Amino acid sequence: MVNLFGKRIRLFRPRSIWVRRIVQWFFFLLIAAIAINHTLAESGAAIPILSSASLHAVCPFGGVETLYTFLSSGLLVKKVHDASLVLAGLSILLAIFFGPVFCGWVCPLGTIQEWVGKLGHKFFKKRYNHFVPTKLDNILRYARYGILIWVLYVTATSGSLVFEAYDPYFALFNFWSTEVAPTAILILGVTLLLSVFVERPWCKYACPYGAVLGVTNLFRVFSIKRVESTCKADGACSIMCPMNIPVDSVKVVRDHQCISCLECTSEAICPVASTVVFTNGSVK
Amino acid sequence: MNLTSKPLAVIIFVFMFGGIALTSALGWWQTESTKEPAAYTEGEFAGQANPADIRGSYTFGDVANSFNIAPEILAQAFQVTDPEPATFAVKNLETMYLDSGYEIGTNSVRLFVAFSLGLPFDTTGQEIYLPKTATEILLAQNTLAPEQIAYLESYTVDVKPATTTEGEVAPAPQAESTPAVESAPTAATSSEESEYVVKGKTIFGDLTGWGVPQTVIEQIIGAPMPNPAMTVKDYASANGLDFEAIKTQLQAEVDKVKPK
Repeated sequence: MVNLFGKRIRLFRPRSIWVRRIVQWFFFLLIAAIAINHTLAESGAAIPILSSASLHAVCPFGGVETLYTFLSSGLLVKKVHDASLVLAGLSILLAIFFGPVFCGWVCPLGTIQEWVGKLGHKFFKKRYNHFVPTKLDNILRYARYGILIWVLYVTATSGSLVFEAYDPYFALFNFWSTEVAPTAILILGVTLLLSVFVERPWCKYACPYGAVLGVTNLFRVFSIKRVESTCKADGACSIMCPMNIPVDSVKVVRDHQCISCLECTSEAICPVASTVVFTNGSVK
Repeated sequence: MNLTSKPLAVIIFVFMFGGIALTSALGWWQTESTKEPAAYTEGEFAGQANPADIRGSYTFGDVANSFNIAPEILAQAFQVTDPEPATFAVKNLETMYLDSGYEIGTNSVRLFVAFSLGLPFDTTGQEIYLPKTATEILLAQNTLAPEQIAYLESYTVDVKPATTTEGEVAPAPQAESTPAVESAPTAATSSEESEYVVKGKTIFGDLTGWGVPQTVIEQIIGAPMPNPAMTVKDYASANGLDFEAIKTQLQAEVDKVKPK
């Protein structure tokens, strides 16, 4: 405990949210296993205890893509299954309460970008994740909404999963199959390459599902909040944020890009206890 | 209430897997196609299976179960030579016709089924191609509306699959644009068709596929040609005709058009 700004404050050594890493690993391995089992199932060699669902069935964005077709005709877009609608509903409900935790904790594409990003951290140290000029970055952050609108439009008008041909998530777990379009492989490659320079580039600039979930940041029940009375204003929370959100300059994080990773909180990087918190209450 | 990472991790697991368990119990969690297309929800055909919901994972047998079109007819329409057409997956058509220059796949089957059964199917803004063999079967039914015929005129292509379903190499892909619709039927490629023998299992679609003119068939049976999926034998017994007599006459016509 130290005396800071006239208050007794307990200081922490910076840590990371290790449990998030475990959850990320779990979902990455689970989806990879399901994708491999799906391939095995096509040759009649599936592992019985494991789901052999297609990747489309376990992708919540499929539920968003098919929504118009489902509401207007009761049908699902080709290749999409009911499970996609269920997953979309669950992850949106989670986001309404806790923000886009699907992006920060579950999505395997986000996870692999973080893994590659560790290389960037090693190579570039403090410069990592700060290569894109702020003005350009601010504009590019809205590109994912444009992509979302385009995907919804082309899916509704064609009745097919047009985005599949560009989807790096589909490519990540199907690169061995002939179903994957070269464009999707290319986009996955570019995404992973950019991850060496920018943390989660796909999530920041292009992910249409991140765009959907990101909107919940504006009204979510639990938010990242900063207690100004105990804040040292050292900027650690902002530096640590993978999405470059200036946490140290706001009282409540309402940024549409927050992924609820909790890396900025007092449980992790913030050195002052109970200063950057994940709460549904008000803070001073 | 403040929340830390560990309770949040538990909440994520409970929410995701609890939600999946709950929806499974309610029957909403489906990761595979039920092989039963959704039904029309309104209009004259409400309650009937909707061809627009045919999936690539369906086999011709699944399509037959929902729409009562024989797998053999589908195989003939799409030049599938699999000895068991009922097990042929619709999505394999795309691979079969990959080199033809035209996208012939699940949408083509949807269109064929809808036109064949006179069910509503929205083709607005869509370019759905059918092989000539499929169009010939549809035209032989004489049930198409003028606008449907016009659509077929625009999107019928004279193509052959680059590879057969048994992995044999077929003749080099051919693709001609349209007039296929008006031209005379050509001999199709299925193994059943290649026999050119009228048997109990022979369907009217086989006869037209072999090149026997519809008018000649109608002359022999003394009535308009029924659904191409119907076997000659079933038609004969249903109409009190002597199958052997009809068979002999039809075989004579088949022999005339049979390749030497």
